[in-house]
Amino acid sequence: MPKPFMVRDCALVIVSVSIPPVYDLRDLRERLEVCPGESLYHHFCQTLLRPTFDDPEYHNDLAFWARHSLHDKTLAERLAILNPFEFRTLEGLRLAVLDVIEDRIGELPHISNVQTGDEFRFLQALTVTFETGLSAREPGELLGAIRQMTPSSIWYHFIESRRRNPDHLDDFTCWLRDHGLQDEPGMRKLGEIDFYFMSLRELQQEILSLFETRAFGGLSS
Amino acid sequence: MNTSLKAYEPIVGVSALKQLRQLAAGLSGCRVVHVNSTPRGGGVAEILSWMVPLMKDLGIDASWEVIRGDETFFKVTKAMHNGLQGQPVEMSGKDTRTYLETNEANVKRLRDKLEAADFVFIHDPQPASLLKLCTGRKGKWVWRCHIDLSRPHRPVWKFLRSLVEPYDASIFSMTEFSQQLPHPQFIIRPSIDPLNDTNRQLDPHEIEAIVTSYGVDRLRPLLVQVSRFDRFKDPVGVIKMFHMVSQVARVQLVLAGGGAEDDPEGDAVYREAKDEANNHPDIHVLQLPNDAHTSINALQRAADIVLQKSTREGFGLTVAEALWKGKVVIGGDTGGIRMQVHNYHTGFLVNTAEGAAHRIRYLLRNQELMREMGTKGREFVRENFLLTRHLREYLTLMNGLRKGLDKELLV
Repeated sequence: MPKPFMVRDCALVIVSVSIPPVYDLRDLRERLEVCPGESLYHHFCQTLLRPTFDDPEYHNDLAFWARHSLHDKTLAERLAILNPFEFRTLEGLRLAVLDVIEDRIGELPHISNVQTGDEFRFLQALTVTFETGLSAREPGELLGAIRQMTPSSIWYHFIESRRRNPDHLDDFTCWLRDHGLQDEPGMRKLGEIDFYFMSLRELQQEILSLFETRAFGGLSS
Repeated sequence: MNTSLKAYEPIVGVSALKQLRQLAAGLSGCRVVHVNSTPRGGGVAEILSWMVPLMKDLGIDASWEVIRGDETFFKVTKAMHNGLQGQPVEMSGKDTRTYLETNEANVKRLRDKLEAADFVFIHDPQPASLLKLCTGRKGKWVWRCHIDLSRPHRPVWKFLRSLVEPYDASIFSMTEFSQQLPHPQFIIRPSIDPLNDTNRQLDPHEIEAIVTSYGVDRLRPLLVQVSRFDRFKDPVGVIKMFHMVSQVARVQLVLAGGGAEDDPEGDAVYREAKDEANNHPDIHVLQLPNDAHTSINALQRAADIVLQKSTREGFGLTVAEALWKGKVVIGGDTGGIRMQVHNYHTGFLVNTAEGAAHRIRYLLRNQELMREMGTKGREFVRENFLLTRHLREYLTLMNGLRKGLDKELLV
C-alpha cells in the first residue's frame, strides 16, 4: 500500500545576493556567469511566491527587467519564452539565458544602460517547508486535499516538486502512479498543464477541474 | 488594535492564518524583543503595535522596548537619518558621543532582557549600538532598516556600518537599500493592518463628519497627501502641483500629518508648507495629533486621489493604506512607492510637480478607469501588503536563523 499523500506548505523570504547590480547587458552576462544557481531558480521559478505585482506577460524577472527597465522588447520576448522547467539542470538554464544575452549583444549597434534605480539586482530565497496536517490516504481523497491547499502548497507540490522528483514530475503524478493510475487519461492531461503562465490560483483551479472531470474516473466521487 | 489573528480571517482567509500557526509552531516560547526609538508616530511604531501582539498570539514571547533619549540625541539621530537617505550632513565627534552615550544609558535598563532573548530585532539606526554593548547576548540579533539606504552619505553610513556589521542578519524593505555587509540581508516589504483605526472600514456619516470638520467641501474633488512633515515628502512640491491643477479643476488639497517624537524637524517643515499655502481657502495643511488615526482614515477614504509625492521613501506605508481603501495613488518615482504604484494599474509614478498635475487631470477626466484601478489596487494590497504576509516572512526568517540558512528547510 503506497504511503499517504502528506500535504506540505512552504514560505519564503527573499535574500539579497552579494554580487554587484546590473546596468547593461554586458554586466548581465558577467553576473549571470557567476550568480548562484539558486538565484537563477528564484528569478525564473519562484516569482509567483513573492509579494510583487503580477505581470501577465513576463513571469521571469530577467524578461520583466529587459522590458520595463532596459526597454528592449526583443530581448524581453526571447527571455520570456524560456521555460525553466524544460532544463534538466540549473546550469542548462544558465547556458540558455547566456546564449540569449550573447546573441542580443551581438545584434545591437551599441549597448545601452539603465539609470540608477532601474538596475537589476540578483536575489535568492530562503524557503521553509512545513507539514500542514492535511493528507490523502487514497486517490479519492486527493481532490478534497487540493481544494484546501494554499497557493504556496500548490507551488510546492506541482512546481517545486519537479526539482525533487525523478523525471521532473509533480508530486500528484508521482503519487497517483504509485496507486496504479498511470494509464488514466487524466494523467496525460495533468502532465500537459502549461502552468508557467498561470497564477497559482488559476493553476489550482485547473488541477481541480481536471480531477473533477471523468478524466480521473472516480476521483471526484 | 487587534491582538488576535482570528479577527483577520474574514479578510485573508483561514488558510493564511493556518500557515502562520504552522510556521510559528517551532518557535513557540521563543523570547523575541523588538527595540525602536518611538512608541508612536511613523511607520515603525505602527508596525510594532500589531506585530508584537500577533507574535504573542502565535505563542511567541514577544515584547517591545523603546530607547529613551533627550532632544539632542534625537537631533543627532534625525541628522543620521537624513544622512543615510543621502543628505550631506555632518556628524561631529560630539554628535557621535551623544549617540553612543544615549545607547549606553539605555543598555543599563535593557541589558538583561536583550542578552536573554532568542531574537532581538533592532529597528533603524537609533538603537543600533546596543548590540556591541550586550556582550553576553545569546540569541540572534537582526538589524531592521526601514529607511531608504540606496544612496547614503558615506561618512554617516561608515559610522553606522561599523555598528551593524556584527549583527547576524539585517532586513531591508527594498533590494536597492541593501549594502555590502558580512551577513545575510533579507528583503521584507512592510505592510498595513487592515483592522486598525487607520484602515478599518468607516461609516459614511463618520467620514462626512470628520472631513467637513476640516473645512472640506464634499461636492468638489479632493486630493490628499498623508505623511509626516518631512522635506523628503515634498509638501511644498505638492502645493505647487495643486496650483497647476486648480487652474483647470476646482480641486481641494489636504496635506495631513502628525509628528513623531524622534523627528525634531517636523514643526519647521509644517511652517514651510503653511507659508507656501499662503492661506489659500482650498489648501488645508493639517498638523494632526499622533493618535488621529481615524481622521487620517476618513481623509484617505474621502479623497478622490491620494498623493505620495516623496523624493525619497523607505516603503511608503501610506500608499498601501490608500490602495487598500480603493484609491488611485500618484506617487513619487522612488523607493518602495515603485513597488506599489504601477502605471495604469494602481496609479501613476511621477518625478515632478508637473507630472503629478498632468496625471491628476487625466484621472479626474477618466472616472471609470479610476474606479477600476482602485479595485485592482485593493486586491493587490490584499495579496501582498497586509500584515499576515509580513508576519509570515518574519517567521520564515526566524526559522531560518534558528536552523541554519540552507536553501530549503523543513520545520
